[in-house]
Amino acid sequence: MGLLLAVAFAVPWWACYLTLGLLVLPLAALGRLFGPLTRTLWKLVLPFAVPILLIQGFFWGEGEVLFTLGPLSFYRLGLIFAAASIGRIAMLGGCFLLLSMTTRIDMLMRALVERGLPNQALYLVVTTLQLVPRFEAQAHRIQDAQRARGLETEGSIARRARALVPLIGPLLLASLMDVEERALALEARGFSRRGPRTSLVTLRDTPLQRWLRLALWLLAATLILYRLVSWITR
Amino acid sequence: MIELDGVTFTYAGEATPALQQLDLRIGAGELWAVLGPTGAGKSTLCSLLAGFIPHFYRGSLRGKVRVAGIDVPGSSLGEMSEHVGSVFQNPFNQVTGARYTVREEIGFGLENLGVPRPAMLERIERSLALTGLSELAERSPYALSGGQQQRLAIASILALRPKLMILDEPTSQLDPAGTGQVFTLLRDLVSAGETTVVVAEQRLEWVARVADRCLVLQSGTKAAEGTPSDVLSSPEAEGWGLCESRFSRAARAAAAQGITPQRPQLPHTLDQAVEYFR
Repeated sequence: MGLLLAVAFAVPWWACYLTLGLLVLPLAALGRLFGPLTRTLWKLVLPFAVPILLIQGFFWGEGEVLFTLGPLSFYRLGLIFAAASIGRIAMLGGCFLLLSMTTRIDMLMRALVERGLPNQALYLVVTTLQLVPRFEAQAHRIQDAQRARGLETEGSIARRARALVPLIGPLLLASLMDVEERALALEARGFSRRGPRTSLVTLRDTPLQRWLRLALWLLAATLILYRLVSWITR
Repeated sequence: MIELDGVTFTYAGEATPALQQLDLRIGAGELWAVLGPTGAGKSTLCSLLAGFIPHFYRGSLRGKVRVAGIDVPGSSLGEMSEHVGSVFQNPFNQVTGARYTVREEIGFGLENLGVPRPAMLERIERSLALTGLSELAERSPYALSGGQQQRLAIASILALRPKLMILDEPTSQLDPAGTGQVFTLLRDLVSAGETTVVVAEQRLEWVARVADRCLVLQSGTKAAEGTPSDVLSSPEAEGWGLCESRFSRAARAAAAQGITPQRPQLPHTLDQAVEYFR
């Protein structure tokens, strides 16, 4: 992710749109994920895009004015700068979404464990992601019970927000009570056992994948180096 | 398989021992039921046999505890997990959350024990078959019913090939169908010589149907030990906090009305009741 971030800021801003349009979206379409990916990307980028566009467009303060709105002027350079920032965010988001929608997180973590990450880290990441729906279901159960006792949980935003307060205590307590049994269940399956571990899942790593990875590393390094040299010699 | 001599355990911060001067011998290939009211020490005994006492729950432990040939206080939980398997009350909490399918969930413990992949595959298939989960192997563990999840917990432990399985009220959160599945499976496993089972349980009708021997605990001490029939028919059973089964209640009511029994002992299962009233 760090490398992706570095690359996103190393390449020219228009290259971000090119990457998104020519690489990320076609790959998503190939995996029949075009609809889900674009919908999620839209929801992800929009909250950043609107304020960036407004702030950069109206407050850039120099160059050609595209239009005025009362006392405020919208600048061309501001629009270009906003487009650059939004493009970088969209490319980062698109790449991350494509990864998360096409890769099982346990496989990804297994690959990282094979490269030296502790096994406990694998468990923490994977369970945290899997436990979110369980946490949600528990919250619904508690809310249903509270609703059955007369607590109003629907209506205005203020009323819904108030209904969340009595949910926090039972939800935290129930989760803490689960932790002990969960820990014991893990111990019963040798979680704390020392010694070598094996894996049921085998990771497919073809020569093509290895070459592609190497090529991407080299490309990323070249881009970052190119940007660094451009900054130094500017 | 299990040797307890003069075992007394007191939880840290508690004044009263949860187990007191307990002596017990359990042989290999038997199915034992641990009975008693709430607070009798059933869960504490299960924790002791699984090694969670003294390695997870702290307190003062006295006496000799040997399980599957291991001196429990002198071993570690990791070592114990290679010989003793534990199944708990809540099936949902036993899903590790780290695996995406039933097959992978069963493989989790085998991975931790470092079992080579070919042997792992064989053991998983066998566990799936023994617990009747083969059809559900590719499902998410979270998409199973309570009874199926508890069978999955048993399958996950079974795949580790433990010499001893400890189950602490494994059916307390299951419906009658799920309860039947679990008890039938336990009986089948023991009869097939797969493992030795100790199960803490409140459902006496099922205990009477499947258990070889019963241990009754009362305030942390051994109140009785014997076959299910002997223990459940004992005139002291009510005093030990054991609820009378509907079949023995019916038999007493029948006797009060002058209906002469064909069998001397009170019935505790449907089959026994059929024989009794025949």
